[in-house]
Amino acid sequence: MNTPLFSRRSALQQLACGFGYMALAGLAQQQALAALNPLAPKKPHHQPKAKRIIFLFMAGGVSHVDSFDYKPRLLKDDGKMMDFDDARSLARTGKGATQRVMKPLWEFRQRGQSGRWVSELFPEMAKHADELCVMNSLHTEGVAHGPATLFLHTGTTNFIRPSMGSWVNYGLGTQNENLPGFVSITPSLGNGGPRNYGNAFLPAVYQGTPLGRVGQPAKETNFRNITPARSMDEAKRQFDMLRELNATQLAQKPGDTELEAVINSYELAWRMQGHAPDAVDISKESPETLALYGIGEDKTDNFGRECLMARRLCEQGVRYVQVNYSDNSNNPAWDQHSNLPKHGDHARAVDKPIAGLLTDLKQRGLLDDTIVWWGGEFGRTPYAEKNGTGRDHNPSGFSQWIAGGGVKKGFAYGATDEFGHYAVEDKVHMHDLHATLLHLLGLDHEKLTFRHDGRDYRLTDVYGRVVKDIIA
Amino acid sequence: MFSRSSIRILAAALGVATVHGDPGDTEFFEKKIRPLLTDRCFECHSPEKKVKGGLRLDSREGWQTGGDSGAAIVPGKPDDSLLIKAVRYRDKDLAMPPKKKLSADEVATLEQWVKMGAPDPRTAASVAGGVKKQVGLSIEEGKKFWSYIAPKKSTPPVVQDTAWPRGDLDRFILGKIEEKNLHPAKDATPEVLVRRLYYTLTGLPPSAEEVDAFVREYQSPVTSHQSLAATVDRLLASPHFGETWGRHWLDVARFAESSGGGRTLLFKDAWRYRDYAIESFNRDVPFDRFIREQIAGDLLPAANADARNRQLTATAFLALGPTNYEEQNKQQLRFDIIDEQLDTIGKAVLGQTIGCARCHDHKFDPIPQKDYYALAGIFSSTRTLFNYTDNVARWISEPLKFDGADEQKFAAHEVKIAKLKQDLETAKKEAAKMKAIATKGNGEPGKSVAATDLPGIVIDDADAKTIGGWSKSQTVAGFIGDGYLTDDNRDKGAKTITFTPKLPKSGRYEVRFAYTPGKNREKKVPIHIFHADGQEKVFVDETLEPSADGRFVSLGKFRFEQDGAGYVLVANEGTTGFVIADAIQFLSEEDLSVLDNAAKPAAGETAKRDDADKRKKMDARVKEMEASMKKLTSEGPQRPTVMAVNDGGEIGDTQIRVRGIVAQKGAQVPRGFLQVLGSAKPKFSDKQSGRRELADWLASPANPLTARVFVNRVWDWCFGSGIVRTSENFGTTGEAPSHPELLDFLAVRFVEEGWSVKNLVREIVLSHAWQTATATTPGDPDNRLFAHANRRRLDAEQIRDTMLVVSGALDLRALGPNIGNAGEINANDSGAQNIEYKYEFTDVRRSVYTPAFRNRRLELFEAFDFADINATFGHRNASTVAPQALYLLNSPFVLAQAKAAAERALASSSPDDERLVNAFRATLCRMPTEKERAIFAKALADATGDHRTEAWSQIYQTLFCSLDFRFLD
Repeated sequence: MNTPLFSRRSALQQLACGFGYMALAGLAQQQALAALNPLAPKKPHHQPKAKRIIFLFMAGGVSHVDSFDYKPRLLKDDGKMMDFDDARSLARTGKGATQRVMKPLWEFRQRGQSGRWVSELFPEMAKHADELCVMNSLHTEGVAHGPATLFLHTGTTNFIRPSMGSWVNYGLGTQNENLPGFVSITPSLGNGGPRNYGNAFLPAVYQGTPLGRVGQPAKETNFRNITPARSMDEAKRQFDMLRELNATQLAQKPGDTELEAVINSYELAWRMQGHAPDAVDISKESPETLALYGIGEDKTDNFGRECLMARRLCEQGVRYVQVNYSDNSNNPAWDQHSNLPKHGDHARAVDKPIAGLLTDLKQRGLLDDTIVWWGGEFGRTPYAEKNGTGRDHNPSGFSQWIAGGGVKKGFAYGATDEFGHYAVEDKVHMHDLHATLLHLLGLDHEKLTFRHDGRDYRLTDVYGRVVKDIIA
Repeated sequence: MFSRSSIRILAAALGVATVHGDPGDTEFFEKKIRPLLTDRCFECHSPEKKVKGGLRLDSREGWQTGGDSGAAIVPGKPDDSLLIKAVRYRDKDLAMPPKKKLSADEVATLEQWVKMGAPDPRTAASVAGGVKKQVGLSIEEGKKFWSYIAPKKSTPPVVQDTAWPRGDLDRFILGKIEEKNLHPAKDATPEVLVRRLYYTLTGLPPSAEEVDAFVREYQSPVTSHQSLAATVDRLLASPHFGETWGRHWLDVARFAESSGGGRTLLFKDAWRYRDYAIESFNRDVPFDRFIREQIAGDLLPAANADARNRQLTATAFLALGPTNYEEQNKQQLRFDIIDEQLDTIGKAVLGQTIGCARCHDHKFDPIPQKDYYALAGIFSSTRTLFNYTDNVARWISEPLKFDGADEQKFAAHEVKIAKLKQDLETAKKEAAKMKAIATKGNGEPGKSVAATDLPGIVIDDADAKTIGGWSKSQTVAGFIGDGYLTDDNRDKGAKTITFTPKLPKSGRYEVRFAYTPGKNREKKVPIHIFHADGQEKVFVDETLEPSADGRFVSLGKFRFEQDGAGYVLVANEGTTGFVIADAIQFLSEEDLSVLDNAAKPAAGETAKRDDADKRKKMDARVKEMEASMKKLTSEGPQRPTVMAVNDGGEIGDTQIRVRGIVAQKGAQVPRGFLQVLGSAKPKFSDKQSGRRELADWLASPANPLTARVFVNRVWDWCFGSGIVRTSENFGTTGEAPSHPELLDFLAVRFVEEGWSVKNLVREIVLSHAWQTATATTPGDPDNRLFAHANRRRLDAEQIRDTMLVVSGALDLRALGPNIGNAGEINANDSGAQNIEYKYEFTDVRRSVYTPAFRNRRLELFEAFDFADINATFGHRNASTVAPQALYLLNSPFVLAQAKAAAERALASSSPDDERLVNAFRATLCRMPTEKERAIFAKALADATGDHRTEAWSQIYQTLFCSLDFRFLD
C-alpha cells in the first residue's frame, strides 16, 4: 500500500530525493538504501524505444491548419459563411454556429523526400520534415486553456492527478542522482500552473522541478536556491560545521535511518550546488552550436537557450524535460483569437531553435533514443472567430508531431475532415498519445499504476490505446 | 405499455416469426449488415474480443438490451438510435468506431437497415447473461464490514502492569503491548516533553522560561501531574491552539484563497472561513455542530445575526474547491463542482471515496452509483455559483446582515448609496431624454444623423469590421454617420460586415438594423445575431421603408453579457439584389421607454436654445453625481461578504449519469444518503436542497463513521500516525485499525461527552502512552503498538514560525485578512490573476495566515510537504528531498532570519558562552552539549570584529539545519 505514513520504513521509501547515497554510512548500508531509493533506475515493462522525452509545449494552441494540416478546401471556400459544430458553441448551447471559412495565411508546400506538407509558418522545422512523425488526428478534452492544458499534462481537465513527467519519473527513476529526473523550463503560473508539473498523490520525489519561471529571461534561469549565498570559503566552513553538528546529534540517536536520510540530503544538496548550474550553463558550447539554436539573434535567443539547456539536461541523464513557450496570461502565447498574423512572431521565436535542437540531437546521436514532442493544448478553428482576423480554440482535431525515439520518420498519421475541424481518420485522443509515449519509454500505460485512496490510478484513467502504427 | 423486459420476453416468445419475417430483409442483413458489424464493430462489441460499454452487437438481443447507455437501436427510427448517432460522428462523446469513421455509404446502409426495422436473424442462443455483475461489496455484505458497524464501547483489557496506565486509553494501549510480551518505552524527559507539548498544542516552541518552569514543576513528585495538567489546560486555552488545530482542519477542508486550476481567481473572503475554523477550535465548538454548519449553515436556525453570519461563513467549505470556472460546458461544470463537493465531504467527514461511484458502482466499497446520484441530487439542488452560464463563472459573495447599531451603520450607508443611485439614474434618464428630444428620438426620417446623437449603443458602419470589398455610398439619404456600405451587388457569399458592441451591462437588448430603402435592394438580407444564449438568423427586406422611425428595423430582443462575445453579422450570401448596411443599434429596456416618451416635437427656436442650456446643466449634474457616487462607495463602511452556498437553485432529484458522462442521463434517483450507513429514509422537502438533512445525518451519533474518522484524525495529529493510518479511507481498501476497541471507545465517548475536541486532545496528551520517549520496539518497526513516541518532523509552518520567533520577527496578530487589495474580482478581467501571480510573500505573521494561493505557494511550504492544497489530506507526507536542504542552506528567507537572530544576540551584553546557550534554547529548546559547544567555539574563536555577525548568522543557520531542530522527539 502506498498511503504515505509516518514511519521508519516508509520514511526510507521516501528517502533523500533518492538521488543520494549515505555520506556518513558504510557501504553495506549504502547498498541497502540504494535498493530502497525510489528514484533508483527501474526496469521498464518492456524493451524501450527511447530513454527520455523533450516536450516543447506551445501554450495557447498553434493553428494546425496554418502549419501541419494542409486543407485545400479552406482556400477554395475562403470567406464563405458555413455551418460548423463549433466546440465552444456546442459546449455552451448544444448547437453549432455559422462561421466564415478562413484560408491558411501561410503557404503550404510538400517537403523533403517524404513530401510531407508543412507551411511557411515554420520554414526551419520544414527542413526536418523527413524526421517528423506528424499526427494530424489528435483530439482532446477542454475547450478553454485551463482544462485543456491540464488535460495535456495530467490526463484530466479537472481532477487532481500527477503530471506525465511525474509518472515517467515514478516509472523509470533517474539516471543522474545529482539532478532531478523531471525538469520544466520556465513554466507558467497560469492554466493549472504547478499542477502541470506536480506529483499530486505520487510521493514528492517524483515532482517536476521548475527551472526558472515564465517571463524570466533564459539567461538568468537557474534552479532554485542552487547558488550558495556566501563566498565558497564561508559556505564550505558553514557546511563543515553543519556536518559536525549533525554527526554529533545523530550519534545520540543511533540507527535512525530517517535522520541519516536527512544528513544524506544535505550531502546531495552540496553536490547539486556543483553539478546543477553546470547542467544549464551553456557558456562552454561552441559558437557553431549556439548559432544552430539562434542564440545571439534577437528573436530566437531566449527560446534557443532554453532548447539548448534541454539538450544539456538530457545528456546528463534527466529523463523528462519540458520547454515551455508560454506566459502567465489567460490568452497565452499562441492564442490568436484575433490577429492571426501574430502567429508569425511566435513561429520566428521557436522555429529556428527547435530545428537547431533536432539537428544538434541528431549530430550527437541522441535523437535515436530521445523523443522530441511538439505541440499545444489544442488546435485552432478553420474559420474566423467572430468573423474577425483570428481563430478560436479547436480541441476536436489538431496536429502535433514527435521525432526521434523509435517513431516513423517523414510520416503522417490520421486525418481531420476536409476543413481540418474534426479528427475523423485514425483518431488519436490525448489519452492515446500519452499511452503511446509511455510505450516508447518502455512503460505499459495500463500497468503504470499507483494506489491512492484505495484505488489504482494511472495517467490514462481507463482509456488510451497505443498507436502502434506510428512506431518504427 | 409494455416495459422493456416484457417486450424482450414477447420478442423471444414470438421468436423466429418476427425475426425471419421477410427473406429479403434477411438477405439484406446477411449481405450488407453482418459483414459490416463483424469487420468494424466486433473488435470491441462481441464477447470473443471484448464488450466495451457493456454493448454487444453479436445478436439481436445485444443491441436491444444495449450497453450502459441503453438500447443501441430503435427499429425504424435511425435518428433515435444511439448506434446511428455514433456512426454519424457528430457527437464528440459518442463517435464510433473510435479509430476510423465509417464511409458515407456504410453509414447510409446502416441507416437504411434501421429504417427497415433492423431485421436481424441472430438469436440470443449464444448470448449469455445480461445480468449486471456485482463488482464491489453489496450493501448487505457491506453492513458487516467493521467501519460500517456502529462503534461499541467495550471494557478495557485487564493489564499486568497496573501502575502504568493513567486511564482507560492507556489500558487499551498497554493491553496490546503486553499481548506481544513487550513493554512500553520509558517516559520522555521533561525537556523533551515540554517541547512536544508546545508544538503539538500551539505549533510554537516553549520559551526558555517556560521550559525551566515546566521542568522544575515536573520534577517534583507532588506537583508533577497537576502541573502537567495545568500546562495542558493553559495551552488549550491559548489562542494559538486554534491557529494550530484550525490549520489541521484547513488541510482537511482543502482550504485555499484562490481557485487555482484553469483561470485562477482570488477568493477575497476565504480568510473568513479560515478564521471560522480557528475560532471554532478555540471556542471548542462541538464537532457535530462544526460539521452541520459547514454543510448547511445557511439553513440552520440562528439566535442572532452573529450566529447566522458564522454559520453562513462555514458554508464556504462547499465553495472553495479548485473549481475550473472557465469550463465551457456548463453542465459539466455543474457536475464537476458537485463531484468535488461529494469527494471532499466523503473524505473529510466519512473517510469514504465516494467520488469513485461517479461513473459506475464503487469497485470495492458498498457504494452503488445510485447512492452517488442520491447525494448529487442534494447538491444539484444547491446553488454554488453566482451564475452558471457566464463565460468565466464565479462563486457567490453573500452580504452579511447584522443586529442593532452595526446593521444601522451599514444600512444607513446603503440607503445613502441607493438614494444617490436612484437620483443618478433619474438624472441620467432625464439627460438621455433631453438628448433624445433634442435629436427627435431617432432623428427625422430621411435626414442623416450622427451616431452619437442617437439613443442606446449605436455602431456605425464606419466602426464595423468588413470582409470582402464593400463600397461607401450616400446615394439614398437618411443615413447614420457619413454614409452606408453597399456590396455593389457583386461577389455574392464573399462579403460580410460584423458589428461588435461594447455593452455597459448584461441584460436584454432590442437589436435594430439601420438601412436606407431602395427598389434595387435585396429582399432577403441575411443577418446573424450572436447573443449570450446562442445565435439567430433573420432576414431583412431592404426594399421596404424601415418600420422604426423610418430608420431602423427591429431584429428582436436578446440577452447579451457585459463585454461578452455578442455581435451582429450582415452577409450577402444567397442574395441577388443590392445589400446595404448602415448601422446597428442596441436599446436597453430603459432606452426604449425614453424613446417612447420622447416622440414629441419641441416648440420654437427659443425653446430649443433653452433646451440646449438645460441639457448642458443636466450633463454636468450627472458627472458630479457620478463622482460623489464613486467617493461614497469607496469611503463608506463596506458591508462584509462571505463565500457561501444557498438553496436558490432548482430543487429536486437528479438522474444517474451513465459512465459519469453528464449528457447521458439514466434513471432518476431520489435524494438520499449512503445506504450502507443505515436504513434511515430521510424525507426531503421540495423547497430545500436537503443539505440540512444531510448535515443531520453526517453529524448524527448513529453515523458509524463521522466520530470514528475524526477521533482518528485527532489521534494522528497528536501521535504522528493514526489508529487507522489511511485517515481518508475507512473503506474496504483502507487499512484496518491497529486498536479497533480503542478507536470505538474514543469515538463513543467523544459523542457522549458532547463532541468536545479539547476534551479529547486533553485526554490524549495526558495519557501515559503519549508521554513516552522515542525509541524502537522489537518486531514493530512501524510502531503500530504505540509502545513509544514517534520521532516527527517539524512541519512547514512550525519551521517557518520558529525561525521567525528566533529572529524576533514573528507578528502574533491573530485573525483577519492578509492579502492586500483583495477586492471584488471581475472574472473576465485579464488582470484578475495578478494579485496572486505578482504577490510578494513578505509578511511575518504566523504561517496559518500566509496567503494560500493555489497556483503560487510559499516556497517553504512547497519544499516542506505542505499538503496538496487542492484536495483533502488530513495526514501530511514526510519526504526527505534535496530541495529542502538547498532551501535551508541558501534561501534568502532562512539567511535573513539567521542574520536577524545574530544581530539580536550581539545586541545583548552577554558573553558568547551565554549567547550560545540562548541560541540553543531558542532553536532546540535545550542546552548545548559539550561537543556542540566545542564545534561553535571554534567558529567563534576565528571570528572577530565585522565577522562576528557573520559567524553568529552561520551558527543560527546551522542550528536551523540541524537534525534536532527539524525533528520533534
